[in-house]
Amino acid sequence: MIKVTTAPFMDEATRAALASGRAEPALGLFLDVLMAMRGISEIEGEAIAGAALEAEAPTAMKPDALAMAFAAIDRGDQRKPGPKAMTYPELEAVPVALRDVICSAESKRSWSYGGPGLKRLDLGVPGGAKIEVIRLAAGTSVPWHTHKGQELTLCLHGEFSDGHATYGPGDFSAFDGATRHQPRTDKDTVAYALAVTDAGLRFEGVLGALQKMFGQ
Amino acid sequence: MLGEAERRRFADLLAMVAERQDRDAYAQLFSYYAPRVKSYLMRLGADSALAEEIAQDVMVTVWRKAALFDRTQASVSTWIFRVARNRRIDVFRRAKRPDLDPEETMLLPAGVEAPDARLEAMEADARVRAAMVDLPEEQVSLLRLAFYEGLSHSEIAGKLDLPLGTVKSRIRLAFAKMKARLEDD
Repeated sequence: MIKVTTAPFMDEATRAALASGRAEPALGLFLDVLMAMRGISEIEGEAIAGAALEAEAPTAMKPDALAMAFAAIDRGDQRKPGPKAMTYPELEAVPVALRDVICSAESKRSWSYGGPGLKRLDLGVPGGAKIEVIRLAAGTSVPWHTHKGQELTLCLHGEFSDGHATYGPGDFSAFDGATRHQPRTDKDTVAYALAVTDAGLRFEGVLGALQKMFGQ
Repeated sequence: MLGEAERRRFADLLAMVAERQDRDAYAQLFSYYAPRVKSYLMRLGADSALAEEIAQDVMVTVWRKAALFDRTQASVSTWIFRVARNRRIDVFRRAKRPDLDPEETMLLPAGVEAPDARLEAMEADARVRAAMVDLPEEQVSLLRLAFYEGLSHSEIAGKLDLPLGTVKSRIRLAFAKMKARLEDD
């Protein structure tokens, strides 16, 4: 187990994977949210891509493409009932990118019961890894457990502990499959966390590097 | 690449879309960006019909999310690239390709990013461009393959028939030059 509170700073390969969209989407979203919460801006990689977009030789669109875009815009505006309120108002303040994903997930499925005091919303992000938001009601204590694969957890709101350390907004932990942990909140604090599980994918690079840096 | 004045003009146009749903402003953005987004998608392997459809979709999203554009954070091109990239992630499910290559992936300790980094993001966007002009074409194309097309270092090595170590060190060098340029002037 490691608790990481300092901002990770990435090398070019990681930056390129994130900037270009090659990264496993769930891990990409996790790192985006982490950076947004830490106030880290990673503009360089995307600026390279933005400049490359300008350098593209244009490929003609169909003659009525603009008219079709306006038609779609008009259709959409009529249909839209206005943004739906989020199920849990505490999540209104999360970074915009995550907020959009949560709203879209809530429009497709509801929060599921994960045991006493525990609710989870699968964000339905494509790819092999799974990313979900976990809600721990005040005074919840989840039994000690391990995970099949590795798990990265970022505290979004509130505070929780896991039997090893305590996490506030922007803190994250990285667990390998072997470590037991016991998430819990105290009696008057609700907590939300963003959790990625690798489902046997290869986060080893990230996890190994984190462990090297932070000991343990 | 666009000059500074043109970048500013596009930012003005997008602001007009956000503030008063200006269709003429949008039409100008559409005529510049839609065909380029289409080329980007075809470069990633979409056929012409799929690329057209996704490019449409991206441009409709540009209209709907225009209010989220913040010119102090990024140029319009960088912002639209991001919209297109996110659509790409949705559309081309990455099931086949593994995630970050563990051999390449490393998170390094903090300490480099400035606390006011965000205020200067737009300037950073401009400086990245300036630095790209100064880099040898070979390095620019390596950066493009990695950051724009999203090839892993080993895929780039295969494509260019270069040893993996050479690709790694050249990309590191090119990126470091760019960073140095960002921190300098």
